Amino acid sequence: MKYFHYLYAAAAVALVAVSVIAGCAAPAPEKPPAAAAPPYRPVASIREVMNSVIDPSVDEVWNSVGSTVDHKGLTDRAPNADEDWAAVRRHALIVSEAANLLLMHDRPVAPPGAPSLAPGVELTPEEIRALIDKNPDGWNFYVQQFQDALTPALAAIDAKNSQALFDAGEKIDETCENCHTTFWYPKAVASSR
Amino acid sequence: MKTKTILVLLAAGALWAVQPVQAHHAFAAEYDSKKPVTLQGTLTKMEWVNPHGWIYMETKQPDGTTKKWTVETSGPNQMSRRGLKKTDFTAGMAVTVKGYQGIKDPGLANGRTLVLADGRSFYIGSVGGPNDGADR
Repeated sequence: MKYFHYLYAAAAVALVAVSVIAGCAAPAPEKPPAAAAPPYRPVASIREVMNSVIDPSVDEVWNSVGSTVDHKGLTDRAPNADEDWAAVRRHALIVSEAANLLLMHDRPVAPPGAPSLAPGVELTPEEIRALIDKNPDGWNFYVQQFQDALTPALAAIDAKNSQALFDAGEKIDETCENCHTTFWYPKAVASSR
Repeated sequence: MKTKTILVLLAAGALWAVQPVQAHHAFAAEYDSKKPVTLQGTLTKMEWVNPHGWIYMETKQPDGTTKKWTVETSGPNQMSRRGLKKTDFTAGMAVTVKGYQGIKDPGLANGRTLVLADGRSFYIGSVGGPNDGADR
């Protein structure tokens, strides 16, 4: 009986020793590493990305298909040659990828000191920033919705289907408006209702 | 060389001058909801294009002169869903447009309704316009 007491005591000592050794060997809980600075460096503001990258290219996508009625009658236009389709595809890709630029949350809304483009109607850059910061998920949602709207346009271009490209143009515009009415001129929309 | 550069710049300027406004802004940023206009005149051109269509027309002024107007409409597919087709337009046809005048450009208007010579009337307003019942 006494033998078992010694055995239990030895086992307990061994258990404690193993625990202590294990505890000493385990690495101390580390502090979470500081977030590394992103490797990208925004140069332009959101307003400049819109004016310099997105607007000019999305206009090329929209204007590539349409019709004109004038003294010569009704004239339909659409990409025809392979080079025409390649050109409009380049612009659609620029717009689609440029949407990613808008998702960089440290990108300023406008150049420093820039005013609202329509005071009293469109918000100031500071007000827009506050809305984005208050609702970053909403911002991401609308930007990605815009990017998603380019997918049917690219598919239409790859299929050389001008009617599908025309129809996709309407959806692209809808997503533009969804974002603008939420973050750029929500007051103007509210007053029109 | 200098002359050629000037000519190129003039040509670019002329091209820019006839391009309608394409940037996205709120209705109230570009049009004055306190300045409704009714334009009775002749269609000179129609652009059936995204994101907005454009009606170009001329109206006779009281002094006998002609005034050119550029009228923004909703998107072409939106107009199509309301029954208006691009084939409904011909240059020289009589049209009546009700809308709102531009703030900075007095020859610019945002169209709300379009009445064709045969009496058919269509809502052509874009999103964000005043709540004036034109869409009903």
